Amino acid sequence: MEYEFQFHYILQAWPVLMEGLKVTVQLTVIANIIALTLGFVIALLVLSKYWLLRAPFALMIELFRCTPVLVQILWFFYCVPILFGIYLAPLPMGILALGINLACFNAEAYRAAIQAVPREQLDAGVALGFSPLQRVRYVVFPHAFRAALPVLITNGITLFQQSALVAIVALSDLMYMGRQVATQSYRPIETYTAVALIYFAISFPVSRVAAWVEQRLDAARA
Amino acid sequence: MTEIQPLVEMRGVHKNYGTLQVLSGIDLEMRPGDRLVVIGPSGGGKSTLLRIMMGLEDIRRGEIDLLGKRYITGHEQSGKTRIDSTLRKQVGMVFQHYTLFPHLTIISNLTLAAIKTRGMSKPAALDKGMQLLKRLGLESKAQSYPSQLSGGQKQRVAIARALMLDPRLMLFDEVTSALDPELVAEVEAVMLELAEQQMPMMLVTHDMWFAKNIASRVIFCAGGVVVEDGPPEQVLGDPVNPRTREFIERVFHIKT
Repeated sequence: MEYEFQFHYILQAWPVLMEGLKVTVQLTVIANIIALTLGFVIALLVLSKYWLLRAPFALMIELFRCTPVLVQILWFFYCVPILFGIYLAPLPMGILALGINLACFNAEAYRAAIQAVPREQLDAGVALGFSPLQRVRYVVFPHAFRAALPVLITNGITLFQQSALVAIVALSDLMYMGRQVATQSYRPIETYTAVALIYFAISFPVSRVAAWVEQRLDAARA
Repeated sequence: MTEIQPLVEMRGVHKNYGTLQVLSGIDLEMRPGDRLVVIGPSGGGKSTLLRIMMGLEDIRRGEIDLLGKRYITGHEQSGKTRIDSTLRKQVGMVFQHYTLFPHLTIISNLTLAAIKTRGMSKPAALDKGMQLLKRLGLESKAQSYPSQLSGGQKQRVAIARALMLDPRLMLFDEVTSALDPELVAEVEAVMLELAEQQMPMMLVTHDMWFAKNIASRVIFCAGGVVVEDGPPEQVLGDPVNPRTREFIERVFHIKT
């Protein structure tokens, strides 16, 4: 291969790429905040003893888990405004699409963790006089959150990577900016390599944090 | 002595798990100051009886009064059990496995329910919690987490956590059976101290020596009914019922 790498193009385009990264990080962080809270609520609803509460959310989880994220993003951008009359700027719409998608995956992690809360812990909650809502707040959530944390972090990083798909609806994230730079400079190899390395430079440390958390939790259980 | 209002009155309590009949008509009366030890073969419904008393289980039929007020009613037709949650707050329970909240410090374990469910102020709760820890010789552990304590210490903290809420009746469900043998005495000592202070209690234990020491009354439960009920000397020493006699002989045989 006789290709000559010319990385100074990247240096020139660096501010543009960083601008894109800012959008990507914004998208990921806010979607994660939504998903960490909404996911827990969905998990509780799915575990409800009332069929009427359970069914719609179980269906929602399956819908989001069993369709491609790319399709979901396109669906949100084209169908939500028309079907529901909700018109949002691209960034909030992207956050909404990714946030709800992630919430469904997090709900599954929470569900398993909630079911693993020791029975005697719940009994103790009753014995101490906590109301059902207080038991969720003071007993179930702390247990479930800790148990689910490694999966929640992993889901969060996965979303960071999948967020690149929003470039398709012209949201100016890192991937979108990378594509602009690549076509304008005629240097796709350097550009996409740089873009990949930026994604990696953020994902990798966070995934190490997830591994560390998991180790610590295992140690605490032992 | 009928003018003394009974602390607990159970009438015809029936309980089943699916088709398995666990309790088939328990009638029981506890007077204030009674320390009732429940003994019997496993599967005889001892723990279930305590769990029902704590309001943790539905009952199929029967009713329970606490402090002269209706506490639990089992409605057979509708299959529903009504539990008065205000009266439930008068009952405290300690479980077999340590049920301290692992993510909270010892002192927070003590104060959380006092603050959140009894409306105690934070300083008052902290004060009371530290006093209780001092009494148990665990004040140095206030800022530790449960995982840093021995089993015996955890179980003592669990007792303190229940006492924080000023219960009128304490339930102890095999609280020493998960402990290493050398840690049992420190937990039993706390319970004996409570007994001295006339705290009414209902406990399930396999330790017959301890039962003899702490009980003011022993009931022998088998097959979902109370087979024998009387002072410890009688039930443990010279039981009337042949089933009780057989059980006692077997248990004490293993011990000697």
